[in-house]
Amino acid sequence: MSAVARLVYTYFTSTRLACVLSGGGILLFAVSLIVVFGMPQPEDMVLFASAGQLAFFLGSSNMPLLAGRLSQGHAARLLPQGRLKLFLSMMVTVALVALPTLLLMPFAVIAGTIKVGVAVDIARLATDPKLRSFVIDMALMIYASLCILAGWLYLAMWFVTSQRNSAGFSKALVIIVILMLAPTQEVNDPSSDAWTSLLQLAIAWIVFGAIFLAWPRLKNWRTRSWIPGLFPRARAVRSAGREIDLMLGTHNPWMYIGALLVPVFLATRIGQFSPAVWLYMLTIFSAVNGAISGQAAERSRALWLRAGWSRSELFARVEASFARHNSFVLGVLLVLMVGIGSYEGHPVGMLAAGLPLLILGTATSTYLGLMLTRGVRWSEALLAIVLMLTLMALPLMLDTRVPNMAAVVALEVILAIVAIVLRFVARSRWAAIDWTECRRPRDARLAPG
Amino acid sequence: MADATVQGSHLSKSFGERRVIDDLSFEVAPGEVIGLLGKNGAGKTTLLELMLGFTPPTSGTVSVFGHPSQRLPGPVKSRVGFVPQQDELLDQLTVADQLRVIESFYAHWDAELIERLCREWNVNTAARIKNLSVGERQKLSILLAFGQRPHLLVLDEPVASLDPLARRQFLEQLVEISADGERAVIFSSHIVSDIERLANRIWILKNGRLDWQGDLDSLKDSIVRLHIRGAAEAVAGVEVPGAISLRREAGFATAVVRGWKPELQHSLRAVHAVTVEVESLGLEEIFLELHR
Repeated sequence: MSAVARLVYTYFTSTRLACVLSGGGILLFAVSLIVVFGMPQPEDMVLFASAGQLAFFLGSSNMPLLAGRLSQGHAARLLPQGRLKLFLSMMVTVALVALPTLLLMPFAVIAGTIKVGVAVDIARLATDPKLRSFVIDMALMIYASLCILAGWLYLAMWFVTSQRNSAGFSKALVIIVILMLAPTQEVNDPSSDAWTSLLQLAIAWIVFGAIFLAWPRLKNWRTRSWIPGLFPRARAVRSAGREIDLMLGTHNPWMYIGALLVPVFLATRIGQFSPAVWLYMLTIFSAVNGAISGQAAERSRALWLRAGWSRSELFARVEASFARHNSFVLGVLLVLMVGIGSYEGHPVGMLAAGLPLLILGTATSTYLGLMLTRGVRWSEALLAIVLMLTLMALPLMLDTRVPNMAAVVALEVILAIVAIVLRFVARSRWAAIDWTECRRPRDARLAPG
Repeated sequence: MADATVQGSHLSKSFGERRVIDDLSFEVAPGEVIGLLGKNGAGKTTLLELMLGFTPPTSGTVSVFGHPSQRLPGPVKSRVGFVPQQDELLDQLTVADQLRVIESFYAHWDAELIERLCREWNVNTAARIKNLSVGERQKLSILLAFGQRPHLLVLDEPVASLDPLARRQFLEQLVEISADGERAVIFSSHIVSDIERLANRIWILKNGRLDWQGDLDSLKDSIVRLHIRGAAEAVAGVEVPGAISLRREAGFATAVVRGWKPELQHSLRAVHAVTVEVESLGLEEIFLELHR
């Protein structure tokens, strides 16, 4: 089997969970094909197809980690055409992830145009040129958009999994925000057609491919062109702070703040967003802010060895370090929310419910991260998904003419209770933390010499 | 030399103001097994990385099979195997999957050899890499470099995590690989006895320079310890040309000499009226003496 095919196969089957998700995704697509031909409601097909698409994407979610590790190590330099084959494997993976939708699209369009209960007549595609042209255009446009979307998501995952520090999270955050804003802009200003989308896709791949393939040389050039002592102050600021903060990566909240201010600024320039979209965006920022605590357990071993703290004291210090870091970011988020809300005239109820939501977003994700003393297991992954969905649902609940404030408050109270419970669980796990069960640091680099 | 496997010319590498490799020139011919010795921070890893083009030199050139190491074409890469100091395995995969991924990049992969070595080295191919011990990971890294039967095998401290049995098996395999006289092996290690057993050439790296490059016998012939005995006044007046270290006591002196020649023994006897005994040193002692 050629290297590209083997790599792609490995991305989709790297773990048992990946096998289940990839296989499940294909199965759900098969079901949606059956549904589109055999059942009257296209909505059912959309449900199966969306679930299949998501499962198929998640099945390959180890791709950024695997490709990233291969490309960052010596292997990519020494394997024959290693970097090129890695790039091709990534491209094929993205193309494959979006492919089921492309295959399903013509049938879905036809199913949507026929009467309920009437069988899908695929022959119409051959006899109706207008329909055929429309279907092809629509399918290509959606396919290109899905490829771009999947590519951005993989890139975000790459930053998080390869860097695993606040810089990585910040880069991922910028990408997530672009993904959130771009579709909104597209709704405001629908200018796309199939060829524009395909052109965008081609440009995205050419730019990414050029950077990826040339990266070793760019890196060498960057290293060579670095003049020692050119920016001593900037370097000193970057590496200054309390020892515990430096080791946990919480010494510089301004990096994250900088990363979130850029998309917020862009959003203010791009177009008009509803209060719910703003709250949604800021809530995600608050949750991602807390998520860097997920590495705290494995990083804390050196602290424990060097300082004379018990495990419980260590947890208290780590918690305080994250509290310091998070308070800066939360402060900026709250100011942004009030500022934007006042300027744009957002409803007071939304502001009142939004302020605790931001705090809860950070608190729950921070304590969920601190709970991860033995890597991410099924239960924690599931909990993270439920929490994220709840946090994302609350802004939408507020985005109605007469929001159900009682339900919103009740959910926020539940989130507060969850945060307290998570803190309790995290503290008890840290009291018996076993560092051999923490994840191995992957970002260790060879020292020269 | 046109058919040199690796050739370096006036190679230097600096990190900021620190010069790690300083004006090295060398050649590696097919059939050579080179043991690279040096203290921590001497520049061993940097030298190996420069050889394979992982990092550009600050000045000088290095070529592999006649091609600049910074731009090795695919077919040349197929002839090179490398075991890094820290493994770069994919934790999520099983051993078998990792082997298959790397195998897929090569047109010629000796699956039989890998299968045999997995069996002999007790590598469980069904195990997930994240569950392997450090030694087992090291074995797998070595297997990945052996699979394409490389003509140039570069190993950066490959045996540091192996138990004595695994180390012996690994060394036997290296001997087998280099036996046909067509392949070159370069390996760095702090286990001097392994280098002594295996290498036919020794490179000793000190302060970024090759303090010694040559075959082991020449090295042993060149650096010896002298035991000098005689009258106290005679011993006190002895000057030993090329002495790395000289320790005198009443009527007795010990010197480690670099660049030893048998004629020196006669001249010391004749000039100073002392008796001189010559003691050959092991590689480890030579290394220690050179770094005193």
